[in-house]
Amino acid sequence: MNKGFRLVVERYSTRLYWHIRRLVILHEDADDALQNTFVNAWRNISNFRNESSLYTWLYAIATNEALTLINKRIRNSAISLDDLGSWFANSTEGSTWFDGDEAQVKLQNAIIRLPEKQRIVFNLKYYDEMTYADMSKVLKTSVGALKASYHHAVKKIENILSGI
Amino acid sequence: MKNSEKIPEGNPFRVPDNYFKELNGRIISSTIENQDGKKKQGLYVRLRPFLAVAASVAVLAILSYTGIRLFSPHNESVSLTEIPVEEYSETILNEIDLLTLEENAVLTGIPNLAPNTDKKDIIDYLILENVDINEIQEQL
Repeated sequence: MNKGFRLVVERYSTRLYWHIRRLVILHEDADDALQNTFVNAWRNISNFRNESSLYTWLYAIATNEALTLINKRIRNSAISLDDLGSWFANSTEGSTWFDGDEAQVKLQNAIIRLPEKQRIVFNLKYYDEMTYADMSKVLKTSVGALKASYHHAVKKIENILSGI
Repeated sequence: MKNSEKIPEGNPFRVPDNYFKELNGRIISSTIENQDGKKKQGLYVRLRPFLAVAASVAVLAILSYTGIRLFSPHNESVSLTEIPVEEYSETILNEIDLLTLEENAVLTGIPNLAPNTDKKDIIDYLILENVDINEIQEQL
């Protein structure tokens, strides 16, 4: 069991980190959420059934951890990431851990303005290249609804980037 | 470009140096190794207070027993409940000194309740009991 879990960590930790990081933006938050993801996975590994693949199960946990952290951050409201451009430019955390050009800043600003579900769907499809079938298991949403969400997300982002 | 030519590609986020090299080790230490550590510590932590209480109780019991044995004046006395009723009755009856009781009765002024009997009454009683008259005369 321990050896198996080590392999799971080695195989999925980097991918899950980036999935979480794109949602929470801050490195420290991503690191915390990732630790919590694997702690939860470890605690509940005995409950894991092969109804879903390990991959989608871990992504579901990671997504929940990321959203929990985002909601906590909203409640505490210590950091506002509404304007990522100025935050990346002016904060130590932002300037240290963000290396994008102006187009990337605009893209991240557009993504963070999407509704929560659309943002997750966009990230999973665009960056993680997850299939709609797997995404359906992660988010417990029908494939049709996910396709629609992604379509709307892409349109909104294109409009923002085009300055429309 | 995957689905839209207007959306830039690439990952603009950075991580600290060696972050991913150390990441797996930190995750393992907060999951698997932490669990192992808890198990090892759990046995020790759980046993320690019970052992302390057990040792205290044992010491108190030994001290109490030793004290009672050493300082009790009736250390060989046997509880009455441990003696069977029949044995107890026999013991009591054997230990009663009838002469002492009579002397005590005289000293304390208890009156002699036996009625005054005449010699003739005794002879009549014995004849009624079919005792041989010769034997009666020998006794008298």
